[in-house]
Amino acid sequence: MATAIYNTLFRRNWTMLGAVFVGAFAFEIGYDNVMNKVWDNNNRGRQWKDIRHKYVEGGDDE
Amino acid sequence: MAPLQTVSRALARSATASRAPAATAVRAMSSTPALRDSSSSYQSPFKGESKTNVPDFSKYMSKGSGSTNALFSYFMVGTLGAISAAGAKSTIQQFLVNMSASADVLAMAKVEVDLAAIPEGKNVIIKWRGKPVFIRHRTAAEIDEANSINVASLRDPETDDQRVKKPEWLVMLGVCTHLGCVPIGEAGDFGGWFCPCHGSHYDISGRIRKGPAPLNLEIPAYDFSDDGKLVVG
Repeated sequence: MATAIYNTLFRRNWTMLGAVFVGAFAFEIGYDNVMNKVWDNNNRGRQWKDIRHKYVEGGDDE
Repeated sequence: MAPLQTVSRALARSATASRAPAATAVRAMSSTPALRDSSSSYQSPFKGESKTNVPDFSKYMSKGSGSTNALFSYFMVGTLGAISAAGAKSTIQQFLVNMSASADVLAMAKVEVDLAAIPEGKNVIIKWRGKPVFIRHRTAAEIDEANSINVASLRDPETDDQRVKKPEWLVMLGVCTHLGCVPIGEAGDFGGWFCPCHGSHYDISGRIRKGPAPLNLEIPAYDFSDDGKLVVG
């Protein structure tokens, strides 16, 4: 198992680099999502998207 | 090459050999103590340990197999690389985003005009980025006139098609290309614009026809939106 992963991903430099970049891409998406969730959670009820329904009647087309 | 090397090596050897007594002479004059036993082989400064004992590292040895360890090491290296790459990309991206125009600047940079309010044959002057913009709703006769001119005879040859997106709407920057005055509409010898500062005459397509100006009136970037509006910028 470990040998198989090692041989497919880390053995050759270009596969290692590719794995790193793909990992970076995935990590960034995940990290951004988590941080946005944390931010929205901390500021719940204070952002425009939270209070919009009070001022704009119907029509979600901006 | 080989003989030359041999010769040079022999020369070097003889040179050091002849210099050896001189070195001892310098040694004799020196006040610093000579290294003890500099001629003999290396001696350990730790007395009592006659033999080299390799310590027992088995306590620190990894229990896992070699391949697992390699995988773990490279995984850690790769993870660090991935996080660094994401951080570097994010940093550069944020700098570039910071440099680009913000939403309020972009909002100021555009002007919307309702074209339905402009009757045929009328000029409208609006302000866009601190400069006047002429909008003329041209009549069919004016369009024909603008198209009938021999382009090759102009100072700044441009056909009317190149200057308008829709022939009935002429949109151009109201700044004289000579020294930057604002021309007067529906004036001049050619039925277009006339600059009062130095007497440049522009025709109904905003092209320079007479006077000192070198170029036609400039056309800003503009677009017609679907609901009959003109967006300049």
